[in-house]
This record gives sequence, C-alpha cells and structure tokens, in this order.
Amino acid sequence: MYKVVVPGDFISETVSRAGEGTYVEDGKVYALRYGIVDERGEIKVVALSGKYVPTEGDVLIGRVAEISFPFWIVDIASPYEARLHMSEFADARGEKIEFGSMNRYLDLDDLIVAKVMNVDVMMRIELALKEDFNLRSGGRLIEIPYTKVPRVIGRSGSMIKMLKDKCNCFIFIAKNGRIWVRGREDDMNLATEAILKIASESHTSGLTDRVADFLDSFRREKRRG
Amino acid sequence: MKEGKEEIELIKEGKRLDGRGFEELRPIKIEVGVLKRADGSCYFELGDNKVIAAVYGPREMHPRHAQDAKMAVVKFRYNMAPFSVDDRKRPGPDRRSVEISKVSREALDPVIMREFYPKTAIEVYVEILQSDAGTRTAGINAASVALADAGIPMKDLVSSVAVGKIDGEVVLDLDAMEDNHGEADMPIAMVARTNTITALQMDGRLTKEEFERGLKLAMSACHQIYELQRTALIDRYSESVEVGGE
Amino acid sequence: MGLEIMDDIRKDYVYDLVKSGQRVDGRGFREYREISVERDVIKRAEGSARVKIGNTEVLVGVKLDPGEPFSDAPDKGVIITNAELVPLASPEFESGPPNENSVQLARVVDRGIRGSEAIDLEKLCIEEGEKVWIVFIDIHVLDNDGNLVDAAALGAIASLLNIRIPNERYGLTGENTLPMRDTPVAVTAVEIDGNILVDPNFNEENAATSRLTVISNADGTLSGMQKSGSGGLKEEEIAEVVEIGIEKAGEIREKYLFS
Repeated sequence: MYKVVVPGDFISETVSRAGEGTYVEDGKVYALRYGIVDERGEIKVVALSGKYVPTEGDVLIGRVAEISFPFWIVDIASPYEARLHMSEFADARGEKIEFGSMNRYLDLDDLIVAKVMNVDVMMRIELALKEDFNLRSGGRLIEIPYTKVPRVIGRSGSMIKMLKDKCNCFIFIAKNGRIWVRGREDDMNLATEAILKIASESHTSGLTDRVADFLDSFRREKRRG
Repeated sequence: MKEGKEEIELIKEGKRLDGRGFEELRPIKIEVGVLKRADGSCYFELGDNKVIAAVYGPREMHPRHAQDAKMAVVKFRYNMAPFSVDDRKRPGPDRRSVEISKVSREALDPVIMREFYPKTAIEVYVEILQSDAGTRTAGINAASVALADAGIPMKDLVSSVAVGKIDGEVVLDLDAMEDNHGEADMPIAMVARTNTITALQMDGRLTKEEFERGLKLAMSACHQIYELQRTALIDRYSESVEVGGE
Repeated sequence: MGLEIMDDIRKDYVYDLVKSGQRVDGRGFREYREISVERDVIKRAEGSARVKIGNTEVLVGVKLDPGEPFSDAPDKGVIITNAELVPLASPEFESGPPNENSVQLARVVDRGIRGSEAIDLEKLCIEEGEKVWIVFIDIHVLDNDGNLVDAAALGAIASLLNIRIPNERYGLTGENTLPMRDTPVAVTAVEIDGNILVDPNFNEENAATSRLTVISNADGTLSGMQKSGSGGLKEEEIAEVVEIGIEKAGEIREKYLFS
C-alpha cells in the first residue's frame, strides 16, 4: 500500500533496491523527501513538491528569456536556465544565422518544445529543438508543479487520453510541468479547469473517475444551456 | 535575560505561574502549507508565540559571485514584527536577529542535502508575529516543516526547544515571564532520529549537573515535538493516496 | 557567511592527521597554543588588554561613559559589547556593517560576563534613574588564526580586572576601582571525525563542521555556551567539551588572570 513519508522516515532494510528520493545509512533506507513511498520496483519516494531539475532525455517546454549570441537562453521552469545553440536552427533548415538576427528565428517569450541533450557538472543545460509542432498559434500554456505531471498522464496514459477525448483538445504535457492545450476556446477552458483540478487533488484516490464525472456533467450543462 | 530582576516568585506550590509542571511544554499548533506564493510554508504556535516560516527555492542565487558551484547556499532570516512584543520593536534586523538567524541556519544546515542544487539559494524566512519567549525554537521548528513542504531533500527534520532555570529549578520551555526573571535559558535544536544536536546556546548560570539534566530534558522534549511536526505533515495528505502512472 | 573559501587540500590534511591522533602544529588534542596576556596597553582606555593565542591576536579596550540606565533597571550600569573584525586581520574580513560573525562573537563574550554577574552593576550607579556608567567593551581583532572567542573573552576579562572609573573627568566622586566578582573564561573546541580538539587554529576551524564554546566561572559553574558551524554534536561530545572547558578555564584563570 502507499504511504506518506517525511524526511528521515525509515522505509526498508533492502539497501539494494534504494532508488530516487531515498538515502542509505547504516544499512537502512530512509526517505530523503516529503512524499509517497513507491515500492513497486525500486524503493522510491515520489516527491509531493519541489523544483524541476532536468535530466538528459527530458522533453520540455521552454520560454526564450534572453538572446545571447550564439545562444538563446531558455527559461525551463527550473532553478536553472537552459541554452539552445543557434546551430539548432541552421541544422534544421539549412540556414546560416547572422549576429543580430537570431530574434527572427526565435524571439523573447517564444515557446519551444525541446529535448535536454546534456547537463554538465556546472549545471549547464543544452537543449535541442523538437519541431513536432508549433507552439505559436491558437493554444494556451498551463503551468503546474512538475511533481503532478504523472498524475495528469495517468496510469498507462489513461488520464490524459480521457482529457483529450472529453475536452476535444490537443494536449501536450512536458516533463517540467508545462502543458500546451489547443482547441476551441471553451474546450480549452474546460481542459484547463480539469488539469488544475487534477493538480490540486493529485494525492487523492478515485481521481480519474471524479474528473470524468466533472467533465461529463459540464458537457451535460452545456447541452442543456 | 534582562538586567532588571524584581523579586518574583516563579514557582508556587510546585507549579509554574501558568499552571504547568516543570517538564511540560506549552500547547503547540502546526499548520502546513499556509502561504500560496511560497514554495513551502508552516504556521507554528508555541503557547502565545505565533510564528510563520516560508521557504523559497531552490532558486537562482544572487549575487552571482556568492554562488557555490557545488551546492545550494542556505539563507535564513529571522525577523520580529514590530507589534510582536510589548515595547514596539523597530523594524529591521538588530544584532539579536542577526545572531538568531545564524544559529538557526546552522541548526538546519546539517540535514539539508545542498549538493542536489548547486549554484542555487534556498531561502528561509521566519517572521515572529507574536512573541512570548522561545521564538527562535518555534522558528526552527516551523522552518523545518516548511523546508519539507517545499520538497527540499533532507536527511531528517530538526526539532527545537528551550530549557531554563527558574527559582532554582530546571524547567522546560520558558515563557517570557520566566525568561525575564529566571536564572538561565538554554535553547537547543536536535535531530530526533539520531539524537544529534545542531544548535545549543546557554545564557545565565548553571552548574554542570543542572546543564546535563537540562540537556536531557530538552532532548526528550524534542522527540515529542518531532512527533507533532511529523503528524502535521502526514495528516496534510491523509486521504488514501494513489501514485499516478509513469 | 564570512570566510567560506575552504582549501580542500588543507582540510584533507587536517583530517588525515587527526585520524592518526595528530594536529598540524604538533599539539595534543587538549592543548592550547601559547597564550600571552598584556594588560593596560592602551592609556586612554579605562581598561585594556592584548591577548595572543598562537598567532591569533585580539586587542580589547574598555571605556566608561556616563549615560542613562534602562527603564527597567534604573539603579544598574549597562554593558555594551562590540567586536570588529577589521580587514587587516584576515583576507576574509571586509569593511562594512557588522556581519553575523562579529555580532556572534560580541554577543557570546557579553553573555559570559553577564551570566557570571562578574560586574556588580549596582556599583556603577551614579544617580538612580538618571545616570549610570555605561561600560563599553570593544573587541578589535588584529590577526585571525582561529579561536577568536577565547582570545576575545580572555581579553575582556583581563581588561575589566583593573578598570579605572574616570570620576574626575566628569567631575564625579565615587570609587575609582570596580572589583570583579567572578572571572568567566571561554574555552572553545571543534569536533573533527569524532575527536574533540581544543583551541582550533584557522585551518582546523575551517576543516571542522561543529564548534562549541563553553564559558565557566571560578567555582566551576557555567555562564555561557554556544555551538556554531554547520554540523551536529552528540551528547557525549558536548559532555566532553564541557569537562575540558571547566578544566582548561581553571588553568588559564590561574596562569593569566591572577599573576
């Protein structure tokens, strides 16, 4: 069963299975964070709060914060900033970018979907663009704590599938807690409300059903009105 | 310990002026996550003390040159609101607040895994809204819970309490009257799990034996306080919990 | 946070030596460096002392000025202790407003004197409710090679032992001397790898994560304690420092304050 732990709580003596969110001392595994113990595979403590720190391979949504040739400095909702090298664009489109013209490709406040290519010991984070889709038109950005992302996705993607179906929206959830929603205005409003509801009730059970009910009743209201 | 000590009887018929026994804590109330904008927060009452702790971070550290390339820098600011005491306290840090801020930071440093967030700052702010002696201990207790609430990786929680000597007796958790007219005041902070002491100050006069007895009494009270801190954090998510899919 | 640039090579060196029971300068774990106390070094102060512990050097000056008493202690003098970590004393000290290290230093020294009630504050009363002597204890650190507290506290007491009350300067009559009722002495130790090392020098202070100061009086009672540093201490380690503290304070008191 799942239980809430605080830092320093004893979890297990099976040191070999100690995973993220735990530490080992004197042959015992203890909780390193305030969170929920997950002993299904490795012994992990899933954090209930905290700041996103990127790992290589993460796909995230960033916002251009500064242009500093030859890099765009990107805010990734983390205590650390990331960088996107201008060669990313050159490679993608075979163009050469001149000094002073970087903003024509990506300007301040532009949103991008990027993959974390490298994080070094000095916490320099290098990104690469993923151009699966355009974050410029007709959509909206929602920010939730990164710790709630697994809940919005759901077991085997069940929650996000339900959201997409019932809200009739394109929804992309990034590792760093940023979510891009695109659809008709009132559909996006519904999706936004549902996502924020999931984030605030993420620690409860039966959430998938409750959210489904919430979305259904909203639809029923709409049809009546 | 103020200089002016009138003759006041602090113990009458084996009980303290507020009716407590020698080894009794004042009532404690703990609320977690009371501030919306802070990354972690805790409201803490110890008798008539009312304090609130907020944690911001880890976040970018300024000024840049003060960053530590290998770990987070912990900042702690203890501050008393002007209306928290009888004689209005002028706003801003005074020497006492500067010292308490340092001692409090050093009480929590040993448990914080700072290596997880190099180059950042973890900022702890403790505001004393109402004071009745023991504010620094309440502040450390609240800060500990607020740090957990913010998701800061820590080895343990830290708990804090003061003991003192009044009318020749070693007692637990002095209130303002006892602190002002007593003979000694000794706040400590401790990790309950390992019985490691992370803060210790003494002010006044104690024999070696009184000191040892006082320390043991304080350590035992820290265990009690730890249980309350833990319960407040656990109860916050008391509904049955389900881990989301990966 | 003060001096944080730790030389890791030196830190490892200190640790390795401690593991084999040694200290960088060859001292025993319970041994102080050479101490010297020189009194009355500043003519214009009412009391003064220069203390050296190894290479650490602290100058303490005591000045007495008439002033107003606190409203809740109308018949008692006032003690105000201040410490300056002046830039010439160490590459880590910067000029500017008092930082947390100098504030802590002053307050710990002050605590020891206050707790022991070494000064009879009622003897400093000039006119009850109106005028009392304010005793300014100013600690000036000249060279920081670790353990400023013990040097500063020793300097403060040595300065106070023979203070002259400057009655003539203010046209007052009264006693010209102020006998001390007690002689609190501070003893500081650090914990390194489970070992207690007394009188840490600068490198040992930086290598250690916990430091404990114990201030004790002539009769073996304690009148101040302060733990500092980012580490923790076990009950037994604290007990050891208290025991050494009382013992060493006795030795220092006898050798440097009553000769």
